Parts: sequence; structure tokens; C-alpha cells
Amino acid sequence: MTTDIPTMRRSGWSLLRRRETPLDLPTRIAVALVVLVLGLLIVLPLINILSSAASADGLKVFASMFTSGVNLQIVQNTVVLGVLVGVIGTAIGFLFAYVQVRLDFRGKKLLHLLALLPIVSPPFAVATAVITLFGRSGIVSHELLGLSPTLYGLPGLTIVLSLSFFPAAYMNMLGLLRSLDPSLDEAAASIGASKWRIFRTVTLPMLVPGFASSFLLLFVEAIADLANPLVIGGDFTVLSSRAYIAITGEYNVGAGAAYSIVLLLPALAVFLVQRYWAGRKNVVSVTGKPAGRPDTVTFLPARILLLTGVGLIALLIVTIYATVVLGGFVKILGINNAFDLSHYRYVLSGIGSDAMITTTTLALIATPIAGVLGLVVAWLIVRKLRSGQGALDFLGMLGLAVPGTVLGIGYALTFNSPLGFGNVALLPALAGGGAVFGGAVAIVMVYVIRSSPSGQRAGVASLQQIDMAIDEASASLGASGMTTFRKVTLPLIRPALLAGLTYAFARSMTTLSPIIFITTPQTKIMTSQILSEVDAGRFGNAFAYCTILIVIVMSVIGLLNLFVRDSSVPRGAAGLSSSTTLE
Amino acid sequence: MKRIPALVGATAMSLLLLTGCAVTPTADDSEQPDELGGSITIACGAMEDWCQAMTSAFTAETGVKADFVRLSSGETVARLDAARDAPEFDVWHGGPVDGFGAARDAGLLEAYESPNAAAIPEKYRDPDHYWTGVYVGALGFCSNQRVLDELGVDVPTSWDDLLDPRLKGQVSTAHPSTSGTAFTTLWTQVTRLGGEDEGLEFMKKMHNNVLQYSKSGTAPGQIAGRGEVAVGIVFSHDCVKYQEEGLSDLVVSFPKEGTGYEIGGVALVKGSKNKPAAQAYIDWALTAEAQSIGPTVGSYQVLTNPDAVRDERMVSLDEVKFVDYDFVAAAAAKPELTARFDAEIAAQPKE
Repeated sequence: MTTDIPTMRRSGWSLLRRRETPLDLPTRIAVALVVLVLGLLIVLPLINILSSAASADGLKVFASMFTSGVNLQIVQNTVVLGVLVGVIGTAIGFLFAYVQVRLDFRGKKLLHLLALLPIVSPPFAVATAVITLFGRSGIVSHELLGLSPTLYGLPGLTIVLSLSFFPAAYMNMLGLLRSLDPSLDEAAASIGASKWRIFRTVTLPMLVPGFASSFLLLFVEAIADLANPLVIGGDFTVLSSRAYIAITGEYNVGAGAAYSIVLLLPALAVFLVQRYWAGRKNVVSVTGKPAGRPDTVTFLPARILLLTGVGLIALLIVTIYATVVLGGFVKILGINNAFDLSHYRYVLSGIGSDAMITTTTLALIATPIAGVLGLVVAWLIVRKLRSGQGALDFLGMLGLAVPGTVLGIGYALTFNSPLGFGNVALLPALAGGGAVFGGAVAIVMVYVIRSSPSGQRAGVASLQQIDMAIDEASASLGASGMTTFRKVTLPLIRPALLAGLTYAFARSMTTLSPIIFITTPQTKIMTSQILSEVDAGRFGNAFAYCTILIVIVMSVIGLLNLFVRDSSVPRGAAGLSSSTTLE
Repeated sequence: MKRIPALVGATAMSLLLLTGCAVTPTADDSEQPDELGGSITIACGAMEDWCQAMTSAFTAETGVKADFVRLSSGETVARLDAARDAPEFDVWHGGPVDGFGAARDAGLLEAYESPNAAAIPEKYRDPDHYWTGVYVGALGFCSNQRVLDELGVDVPTSWDDLLDPRLKGQVSTAHPSTSGTAFTTLWTQVTRLGGEDEGLEFMKKMHNNVLQYSKSGTAPGQIAGRGEVAVGIVFSHDCVKYQEEGLSDLVVSFPKEGTGYEIGGVALVKGSKNKPAAQAYIDWALTAEAQSIGPTVGSYQVLTNPDAVRDERMVSLDEVKFVDYDFVAAAAAKPELTARFDAEIAAQPKE
């Protein structure tokens, strides 16, 4: 799905160039406002982190990055982890997508939902369950098989991150496989090619851009992750966990900023490559919309092989989430399996319930803001701007391209003290315990900037499918730009809006890396509470938290779907599925 | 650049000494406890349920709303330092006083001599009243008997037992940058072996056997309890707590060469926005009643108030051999030593 956007966008933009009416005032105000908001939410924190990294402490880290063996090792570890997760996660994602599109079997729908489960779950659910199941004294590894594998470090991180991030690759490949034109397969078959040969010489080459973009997406997600390296990193230090120790342990912000800048550069590069280069090498759109249904795999050995592979991974995912749910209801899973409600009592009383209410409230505040912001940006890009669309698009997407750790440090640097020029304070401190609303504003801001890109993507994609003539008809009847947007465009893009909103909410509820640097005593956030439970080894409490978090996210998504239900939305297309590719 | 915090600290300290006399009289204004109000926030360095029990008991007693955040020592100092001008916290309660000393040196604490401090033995008090001890804990080994049996290793009774090649990847300890417990471990080696280089040398040898340096100091007890490693280095009372919570394979032992100990402190954060209530909290934390809450939530530290309850699950301080732990020197050496640990050991590859 991601890959066919640029083509549409080009045609959309060239269409715009023919319009020569000047920008109306509301549009100009909207552009100014959006740029101001994005500047505050993302540009300013980035500038601050850059200048902090340029401090003496930071420069020392930069200098040692290629001279000190320790730092070289950290960089190397980060790259190795990113590559492994990119390859394995893409492979799993492709396998799931291929089976989904090209195989007929019962339980397809279930498999689809299963593949999306990791998106709605908090970052440590998988890590803690994997240790409980496959650790040195794990239920499966030790009790059943008598093994004591060491998961801490690269092996554990690879498994956990691949399982956590593969849904992004899955959605990407799913969209791509669905849009492949089956007539190409038929043509190859008609000149006598075997199915395997068709797969190898026709299907695979067309999927190369999809593989590339999935790999890059997962690479960035993996190197940016902070939660898992803290929990099961072992002695395998990566840039994000090094930056975290520098800031929280040594209070060396300059060094922390420097480590995270090293993280920022590849992430930005990959983002640019993925959006503006890989996207253009598009073989799919040449043939336009697919005609007919793709051929299904019927060759029995291939079916068995594919289904077994997917089945095993699906079983693994089911086992992991069963462990999470079960683990909250027993004393200590794997050691003392007596039924016990004390974890839920602990989590539901006192700070636990505070965290739940605060997190849900803040995410619910942020979600519509993010949705509107993303949509307005998309609307400006597709419909209003005649120049600078690319720049605005990039600015809007920056919140997703910047690794969470970098964003969090940037926010702590920028918003912990009042903002202003010289002695004139323009804004009070927004982050930290001494800030207004106990620092909640900064957390909402992080949620917004992390989530609005998905609204923007969804908005751009759907706006491009709506004919410009509809807008022009509205304008010719005397409606202003605002009225047209409100009365004509908005109803048409409601499904995309919904998709953006649901995704934004799920993302906000489960994010940790940027939040951990700006939580305050007054605003307790569930993911950071889970981290402290996991770090102190109280897995039962962590499992209970994770289960509740998953339930909250799913309920809110369900409610959103009910509220903004639209008969034009195809079954299953609403909600997460249509926007997860934007990861 | 490492020197700048120290410089700032020294400057702040000297300023503090000047203002110290001026501050004490205002403290006397808050003698009427019924005028307390508002809310305070505690940076809590002990177990989460201990923190919760303490703050809610204080609220019940005084009506002052008390929030807490559970933070390890390094994190507390970092966060106090980050919000120097507008502190997020009013009181720091729990956690080894090495960290309190580091915070004091950085000018983040304010001296407060509680009227109730007289009841606490002098060895558990800062002579300059920056912190007062509320409990004492002994550093020990928290081993998983089942894992040890599988490896064919005896319960460790000496620091050198931890260097056994059969324990490769089987020792768990925290990171001294973030954890006060782990810093106590590190300083114990420095004291025991007679110098920072020698202490780091030991940690370097042990590094080969360490699985992961966790963020929080109590985590190694749990990691050992679940059988992920054979031995965790934690304060013995944490190990007892985990045993009681159902990790029944755990056994406590102490090194025969002598071990380190912690004094868990309570201190007033400089610049507290609700000083009367914060001081009332400190006064209360030193009472026998407040300290006796610990054992009710499974925290079996030895309590500093002689009138507080005793429990047979508490370690008997006479039966464990201790090194001569110098808290002032430890606090002064902390920033430099943890930085060295991080550069020379934590990130180094294993042999």
C-alpha cells in the first residue's frame, strides 16, 4: 500500500499545478498554524538535542564514537540488531501475507487478527513472556525440554523485536500482494511456466520494493527500541540503552544527546530512502488496478510447508499472549502456579489505577488532536499547496521518523523550563514535575506528534482518491475553502480519519521510549509503570498491567469503530488494518 | 566536563553553608502540625509496596497527601539535578545514603535536624543533618539452590566464589550508575581490597560471570529467584522478601571476607515547595511507629529507631562480618567511580 502512494501523489500534484487561483486567507492561516504547531512539537526539540549534542560532553562522545572500542561495539551491536530484525521480521511478515493472499484455508480471519495483536500490546508483553517460556528456567525450555538457553542479549532481542514489529511488514506486504495483477501470472502460465518459476521470476521481482521498504521500516523500529534492550539486553548494549544510562544514571545529557543523534541519522536516512526513493521504484502501479482474483497455491507440499511455517509462528504468538494473560492470574508463573488475584489487586489499587486513568485520558485527549492535525496537513498537501508540499509532508512525518528515544530527550531538554526569547517567557514549563498540569501537556504533545503522521498518511491516501472536481463544484457554488473542507471533503475521508485515529490511540497507549524521559510524579504512565515492574522482576504485576492495557486499547478501538461507523467502510478495513503500513 | 557538576556542587555547598543558619529559624515556624496541608511528593528508593504503605500511613496520620515515585538512587540524583530550580520532589526516603551524600555534594539536599532524630543512634545520622538513617541492610548473596545444584556449585560464602568459571553468565547485579545497591557492592570491593583500582579489578573479573546489569538494585534477587541466574547480589532483606513471596529456591549467604551495608536514609530536598509538610514527613519517618510499618509489608531491614519492632527474619548485624564502610568517602567517590565502571567494565566484551 505504501508503495503505490507516490504515483498517485504525483498525478494529484500535477493536477494541482493547473489551478492558478491564489491561496485564500483561511488556507494561509492554516498553513501558518500547522507550521507553527509542527515547529513547536518536533523542530524545536530536535534543534535543542542537536545543540546539546554539540556541547563539550556530547562532542567527547562523538569523538570517541569511532576511536573507543566500547562505542564502536555499541554502534556495531545496534546495526547488527537492526539488520537481523529487519530480515527476520520481513520474512515473517511476508510469510503471513503470502499465506493470507494466496492460500485458501479456514481461520484466515483469525490469522489476520493474530498478526495484528502485537500492535495493540505494550512493548514488554512479548519480552517478559518469552523469558518466562524460553528462559534458562523457562516453562518450555527448562521444564519441558530440559534446556537452559541464554536469551539475554542478541538472541532474545532478535526474537522479541521480530515478533513485536513484524506486523508492520505484514501489512506492507499484504497490501502489495493484493495489488499484484494476476493477469501477469496468467500470462506467464500460458507460455508454460511452472508455478514455482512464476513465483520466482514474476512475483518475487515485483515484491522487491516491498521487501526493501519493510526491511527499512523494521530496521529503524529495531534500532530505536528502548524497552526491550533494557529488559533483556543482557550485556548487549545498543545506542538507545546507552543513551538512557547516560541520561538517567550519569545525568550526562550532552552524552545522551550525542548517542541519540547517532541513532537519529540512520533513522532519518532510512526514512528518506523509504519514502522518496524506494517508493518511486514501483512496478505495481504500471498495470493499474488488479483484475480478477490471484491464483491460489494448490500444490500440496507447498501448502503444507507454508501452513506449517505460519502455524508454528502463530502458535508461538498465541502461547506468548496466553502467557501474558495467564501470568497475571497466578502467583509466579512457572514457579508457583496457584491461582491468585494479588497482581490485579496490586495493579488496580493505588498507583496502578492512577496510571490507567491518566494514560487513557491523555491518549484520548491526544488522539483527536493528532487526527485533526494529520488530516489538515494531508489536506494542505494534496488540495491546497502549489509548492512546498514535499517539505510540509516531510515535516509532518518527522514525528514518526525520529526515534522515540531522541524525541523524549529532546522534549525533556526543551520543555522542562519555560520557553521564551531573552527574558520574555512565551510558554511555561510543559514537562517535568514542576510544570503546569504536572507535566501532562508534554506527554500529550509527544502522543500527538507520534500519532499525527498516521492520520496524515491515511488522509493523503484517501484525499488523492477523491476527484478534485467535487471540490471545484463546491467552490463554484460559492463555498469557501473551509466550508468545502467541512461539508464535502471531511465526510468523504471519514474512514481514513477513523483508521488514523484508532492507530493513533493504540500507538499512544503502548509507546514508551519517548515517554520515559518526561513522566513525572503526578502523571504516571502505564508503560513506564510496567517497565519498573519488569525491571524489579515482578512479572505477575507486569502481566496484569499488560492485559489491562490490551483490553483498554481494544475497547476504545471498538467504541471508536461503533461511533464513527460508516457503511462505506469495508468490513475489516476500518481500524488498524488500513493504516498499519504507515509505521 | 565531569568536573563541572562537582564545581557547581562545591559552589552550591558553600552557599548552602552560608544560608544554613538562616534557614533553621524558619523551620521552627512550622511547629503546629494541625496547620499542615497541601501535598508532598516522595522520591522513594525502597520496595514499591514499602513506599506505598509509608505514604498512605503518613496521609492517614496527618491528612497531607503524599505521592511517591519509586526511583533507584542514580535516577533520583539525576532527576533532582535536572529539576534543580523547580524540584519535583519534597522528600527522598529510602535507598543507600551514598546516593544521599552524592546529592548533598551536588547541593540538592537541605540540612534538617528533626526533633525526632535524637532517638536514632549517632552512627546512623549525618553529622551535618543532611540525612538521617531509617533502616540498615546488609549486602549478601541471594542464590537459587536448584540452579546451584544443577551447576554443581556450593552456596557462595566468599566474594571469590563468584569468580568460579562454572558461574559464567550466572551472576546478576545491578548497574552502579543507576542502583545504590550496586554501588554498595562496588564500594565494598574498594574498601575490602584497599583501593579503587583493586576494587574495579575485582569487578572486571566478575564481569565475565555477570549476565546483565539491571537498572534497579533489587532485580537480581528476582532474576535469581526465577532461576535465570544462580546468584544475585542484593541486600539480604530483599532476598528474604522474595523468599516469602514464593521464590522458595532462594537462599541467603554472606561473604566471609566481610560485606558492605547500607543505611537507608530520609532527607529534605532543597527548594521543597511544601517544607512544613516535608519536615513533618521526616519527623514521622523517624518514629518507631512509622519504621515498624516495614516488616508488615515484607521489608525486613534492621530499623534504626531502637523502639521499633524486631523480627526474627531481620538479619542479625552481630553475626555478619562487615567491611569498614565509609559513607562520606563513598559519596565523594561515587560520580567518578561509576563513570570508570561504565567505561572500563560494563560495556566491555567478556572473555
